[in-house]
Amino acid sequence: MRRRRFSVPFIRGLSFFTGLSFFIVSAALTSVSAQETKPLVNSTLDGVVIDAVTKEPLAGATLQLEGVTHSTKTDRDGKFRFVTGQRFPYTIIVSYIGYKADTVVAQASPITIALEPDATGLDEVVVVGYGTQKKASLTGSVAVIDAESLANRPITNATQALQGAGGVYVNQPKGRPGAEGNTIRIRGVGTLNNNAPLVLVDGVEYPLADVNPNDIESISVLKDGASAAIYGNRAANGVVLVKTKTGQKGRFQADYNMYFGTQRATFTPDVVTDAVQYMEGKNRALAGEGKPPEYPADLIEEYRSGTDPFIYPNTNWFDVMYRDAPIQEHNLRLSGGGEQTTFSLSLGYLQQEGVLLATDAKKYTLNSNLQSDLTDWLRVGATIGGTYWNDRESAYSADEGNGEGGIMGLLYRGLPMQVPYAQDGSYADQWVRVPGHNFFRNPLALSYEGFRRNLRYRTLANLFAEVKLPFGLTYKITAAGNLLNAQEKYAYPQIALTNPKTGVVTPMGNIPARGVQQISRSAVSITNFHTLSYRKTWGSHALDGLAGFSIERFDNGNFDAYNQGYLGNELTELDAGSTAPEVGGTSSQSRLQSYFGRVNYNFGDRYLLEATVRYDGSSRFAKGNRWGVFPSFSAAWRLDQESFLDDALWLDNLKIRASWGRLGNQEIPLFSYVNAVNLGQDYSFNGQVVPGTAVTQITDASISWETTTMTNIGFDFLAFQGKLSLEADVFEKKTTEILRQVNIPAQVGNLTGPFRNIGAVSNKGVEVAASYQDKLGDFSYRIGGNVAYVRNKVLDVKGNVYYDGNTIIRAGDPIDAFFGLQSDGLFQNEAEVEAHAYQAASTQPGDIRYVDQNGDDVIDNDDRIVIGNSIPKYTYGFTLSGSFRGFDLDFFFQGVARVNTYTNGNLAFPYRNGAGVTKAWLTEAWTPENPQASLPRLTTSSGYPQNYLTSDYWIQDASYLRLKNVQLTYRIPAEWLGRIHVKSLRIFVNAQNYLTFTDFKLGDPERNLTRANLIEYPNYKTISAGVNLSF
Amino acid sequence: MKTNIRANRNYHEALALWAVMALFALSSCSSFLDVEPTDRYTEDNYWDTEERAAASLNGVYASLLHNGLYGGTSPLYFENLSPNTYRYQGDHNLVAQGLHDANTGLFNTVWQGAYQGIGRANDFLANIDRVEMGEDLKKRYIAEAKFLRAVFYFPLWHLYGGAPLILDAPDDATQAGLPRNSAEELYAQILRDLDEAAVDLPETYGASDKGRATAGAALAFKTRVLLYAGQWAAAAETAKRVIDAGTYGLFPDYRGLFFLENEGNQEVIFDVQFRFPEFTHGFDINLDQYNNIAPLPDLVDDYYDIQGKPISQSSIYDPARPYENRDPRLQATVIVKGSLFKGSVVTDDQYPRTGYGQKKYTVFKDDTPAATIPDGQSELNYILLRYADVLLMYAEAQNEANGPDASVYDAINEVRARAGMPPVDETLDQDGLREEIRHERRIELAGEGFYYYDVRRWGIAPDVLNGDIYNDKGERIDTRRFNPQRDGLWPVPAIAIQENQALAQNEGYGN
Repeated sequence: MRRRRFSVPFIRGLSFFTGLSFFIVSAALTSVSAQETKPLVNSTLDGVVIDAVTKEPLAGATLQLEGVTHSTKTDRDGKFRFVTGQRFPYTIIVSYIGYKADTVVAQASPITIALEPDATGLDEVVVVGYGTQKKASLTGSVAVIDAESLANRPITNATQALQGAGGVYVNQPKGRPGAEGNTIRIRGVGTLNNNAPLVLVDGVEYPLADVNPNDIESISVLKDGASAAIYGNRAANGVVLVKTKTGQKGRFQADYNMYFGTQRATFTPDVVTDAVQYMEGKNRALAGEGKPPEYPADLIEEYRSGTDPFIYPNTNWFDVMYRDAPIQEHNLRLSGGGEQTTFSLSLGYLQQEGVLLATDAKKYTLNSNLQSDLTDWLRVGATIGGTYWNDRESAYSADEGNGEGGIMGLLYRGLPMQVPYAQDGSYADQWVRVPGHNFFRNPLALSYEGFRRNLRYRTLANLFAEVKLPFGLTYKITAAGNLLNAQEKYAYPQIALTNPKTGVVTPMGNIPARGVQQISRSAVSITNFHTLSYRKTWGSHALDGLAGFSIERFDNGNFDAYNQGYLGNELTELDAGSTAPEVGGTSSQSRLQSYFGRVNYNFGDRYLLEATVRYDGSSRFAKGNRWGVFPSFSAAWRLDQESFLDDALWLDNLKIRASWGRLGNQEIPLFSYVNAVNLGQDYSFNGQVVPGTAVTQITDASISWETTTMTNIGFDFLAFQGKLSLEADVFEKKTTEILRQVNIPAQVGNLTGPFRNIGAVSNKGVEVAASYQDKLGDFSYRIGGNVAYVRNKVLDVKGNVYYDGNTIIRAGDPIDAFFGLQSDGLFQNEAEVEAHAYQAASTQPGDIRYVDQNGDDVIDNDDRIVIGNSIPKYTYGFTLSGSFRGFDLDFFFQGVARVNTYTNGNLAFPYRNGAGVTKAWLTEAWTPENPQASLPRLTTSSGYPQNYLTSDYWIQDASYLRLKNVQLTYRIPAEWLGRIHVKSLRIFVNAQNYLTFTDFKLGDPERNLTRANLIEYPNYKTISAGVNLSF
Repeated sequence: MKTNIRANRNYHEALALWAVMALFALSSCSSFLDVEPTDRYTEDNYWDTEERAAASLNGVYASLLHNGLYGGTSPLYFENLSPNTYRYQGDHNLVAQGLHDANTGLFNTVWQGAYQGIGRANDFLANIDRVEMGEDLKKRYIAEAKFLRAVFYFPLWHLYGGAPLILDAPDDATQAGLPRNSAEELYAQILRDLDEAAVDLPETYGASDKGRATAGAALAFKTRVLLYAGQWAAAAETAKRVIDAGTYGLFPDYRGLFFLENEGNQEVIFDVQFRFPEFTHGFDINLDQYNNIAPLPDLVDDYYDIQGKPISQSSIYDPARPYENRDPRLQATVIVKGSLFKGSVVTDDQYPRTGYGQKKYTVFKDDTPAATIPDGQSELNYILLRYADVLLMYAEAQNEANGPDASVYDAINEVRARAGMPPVDETLDQDGLREEIRHERRIELAGEGFYYYDVRRWGIAPDVLNGDIYNDKGERIDTRRFNPQRDGLWPVPAIAIQENQALAQNEGYGN
């Protein structure tokens, strides 16, 4: 009767699920209480569980009576007292993570049980979508990073933790404290918009950068379609699942980890710092354009003979602005648990000074995890954590958006004739007038005066309850809130500069008026999901099922205000200003609603089958285009379990996997389907502002999510007691109905183009990972490596061609391939210029000769071809580790190959709009005497564009191999520590990014490859030392 | 079924738990995904009130502030394309040097600005009838939109020599592939829009609407279009209508015409409205501090002496004191060494590009010290049409159409008299007077961004835009090239052709 009440109003399968669940819950609760087992005999088993090798006691090992769910755990001394209620002999199953489970027949009490360490890791439990699975029974492709492999590395950002996972490419392009902007790509670039994977922390969407790496227990990367499909329309770029640490029953532990280190920029440009060379070079460049010199001979002579270093400086601005910067991190974690309840409490503190002057970040984290078995059928738990960031940098932020106006932009425009301080210690002005650089915005002054401060408080509260129901059913409800509150403040200073030659003091020009801008941001996302899982085994069959429902709601808002009229740089509150106030703010909301399910079938650990489906609805699309179905199927066959391989005792695992899955991607701006009339197109009449509106964008209401179909075939091979491991996967990832904002001709109202489902892209690839580990006496070692090859190709864009700056999207080429002219060396003489297709009236020897692709005797845009690829074809990593009597030495290398980047802008091109020049341009540019030059004749790049058209001449090979990390650890022997009640103590030294092999000369090769200019906060290398201490 | 007290309690707890879950499920019917934007209207729900019609029209005006049209420092940079001024770098200088091609950014910026304004005007005109409002006001709004559409089409006609003629609301499907229409078709549409606008536009506005298009603005702009097209009689006739209406007059102080406190004075027929801090430009910093629009000696030397004689024929010109006894407009327009500006004497290296700075359109007074105005904080209105221009356009058109009659002399002499200059020699023939009118246009309108159009339509561009240019010391600073086979028109921007292959390129340019 009750069922009917619920079933009528619901649609889309909800009714069935709801009614069924209700029935089950009610039925279960009555039967649970009816099922109390009475002991037959008051029998007790006492004993201890130890490590078979070290003979050390194992705390927290589980002992379970065979055939019954009754179990207990060992205490901190490895001891247990198990009230079994059985007559001897009986069988108990003993298990402990990292050890092989053992079945022991207890004949009498007490008993000592020795567990063998499990080197193969096959019993390891891996986090998968809405649950966990034994690694051995995975059918999909999942990369796992555990806490051990993260230990000790000075990771400031949890995205760095993914480096080295097979098929995962992490690019760390810059070291801006608190805003490193690392990108994660899983199996290439599948789409034309957002390629970032979905990151879930304990099941809830959360930015990886805000997770304290020290709180991470494990990370699973769901790479193939089958593993990720349960996350439906957000899973196309892969899914990263982070599990945070929990306490363990029966033991209390305190861990304290810390390190100190120092960081240094990985790269400084080879810029001309000799002022006379700079000026003579500029005159030469102008002569190349037929212009008169800019720096008169008498000025150069004066400079040459000048002695006062303030008036005649030869400044290297990178030396002035870069520094060795300290970094330190402290983490304290208390964890433990009793019979029913476990807890983990952690505190973290990171203090990072930036390698750029006057930039720093502090991060405070806390995380608490509490889980309790309230009854034998009800388990509840909560994870509540928070991160507080406090970053500081110049008000002329190094943010990408600031480009040349930002502090890095100003640094890349620094000239040798400029000096940070005048003779009296005040900030210096420039006295040599530089065209294009009329005002000297002294980067040092702009770093020390004023600031941008970014405070971010993010908290995640995640609560769950898990109810065990009869018939092997478990119901779990999870509710979580993720809240971000950020306050960003810009205090723009007014600065006086002293001319070191004349002593005249003037205010710094061409900077915004003194003022304060404050921006408040808030983001709240609420997640609620319900799962019902089922487990049943009979004979050799095992069946797992999962059904679930989730809703998510994302609210974003911001508010900003600005004021001027400050009386000095000291006061930086909005209220301290008085004139020209401005205000702005907005908010938005998006929602997701989903139903999902999964079925696993396991026959004798030999045949493994899995199917999932997700039905997803998103508010990002118009009614009628919102809902999508994302199914997947996978299967695996463990050959080693077959009887014909029974004799192959050397073989631990041989598994063949195949999977197919369909995923979605909905990452486009909100309301992209709405034909909007935008506000804020205001005007003024007679000094009074009037509101204005306009259509500024074309929209396509028919858009829907893009669909990625991924097929994966792979095998796992493990042999010789886990010594040799090999994993290989072949995959094809085909994305159709790709969402892309397209350009439309300006003649259509000069509108921003619409987001459209434009076409299909394929990523085909191979991933191979192999490792070998062994022991030679006291020396044990491990070598491991992985390589991924991805070939990206646009399959079909409905006959269109999409251009964006210097890249192109068209069928047959990789996505966003670099598109430009093809160069054919340099013209050596007038005759060659004459004989060649027309380039420009001013073409002369020393200029780049472009290939006339269409043979029309004119070089223009119709002669462009694909000249490079911004997606690495190969990404690889390898580790070497060895340990000897308490010493561990680990190396981790990462590399990419077969990839290009295109560079232009200041210091990539010479004398651009008054900026500097690298030494190469003064020595390696073409002259009649140097016909084999590597660079064309010297001109300014802004005054003579012809040599600086997009061409393969400026395409760079961005391949590199980098020693990301090397670490030496010493474990203090346990016998020394026992006396001082310390469980373990390790000390380590670590170096990051200290060795790089690359042909790329203009910057750090680990860069944002589609960024053309070089202006980016420098990447850093670190040397650090620290300790890990456990009580 | 066996129950006990504990089980009962569990049962109720479970019910409560379930109720919570059911609540979530209920709250999440299909309406859960219906989220409406709160920061924008949609085309379906927008066209409703008179207020919104007004806001949409304001959005059309806002396109005047596009960087390709009259925003930023754009209108003044146009002067750098002419023999009047110079900038050492940037797109305008590339064009002046003849190093431009279809990729040069300037061509695309102007193209985009024009079509943005056209698209907005078209959208307004296509939708205004959906709004119920007073008919008179609606007529006026339509007329304002048409005036603006003509202003936006002007560069497409005159600089590019034809472009797609689009009069409907922006629509990707029907407009993205349209080829270019001829210059004549655009010209006809511009005149049509201006004629229709002139009928429904008022002569003047109240204070709160000052800055909107007037009937005089439509006629004055029409005069400019006719003049540029060489339609002398029609141009003279249209200019005369503006003059005869008596709405406008010369502002007595030539320099003061461009002061903030005199914005919207009787000489201003149509100006682009700026206001700090919302709608600003960079005139002051580019003119004064950056010296980015540096007057060339070619212009400076073209100013007559105070008696109306060229300096080559002057009896009072002293090369040792070259700025004394000159047309007062010289120092109202150009900052010269040794003069007083911003309360101090201009030093020898203050304006290093050519030795001169442009004073016109800076807000600084000669005798008042002033702080630097950062980029994007200047707010002086840019005057697109002013009465002196109309007088000179009348003089030119009338002289071409009917020869040097008295009305021609009256018009030019009125302009000269305001500047403090003597009348023109009345014995000149048509050709002589033509030269005098052309000279007067150059001097009166110097630094306002119009001379580039004049040298092109007069056919003298190949003469005056070719060859070396010099600073005040006579040192060569650059070389300019004008290729008559190519540079009479701008190229269709390469990026526009890339997006729409149906656009044909102008002769002499690559794609």
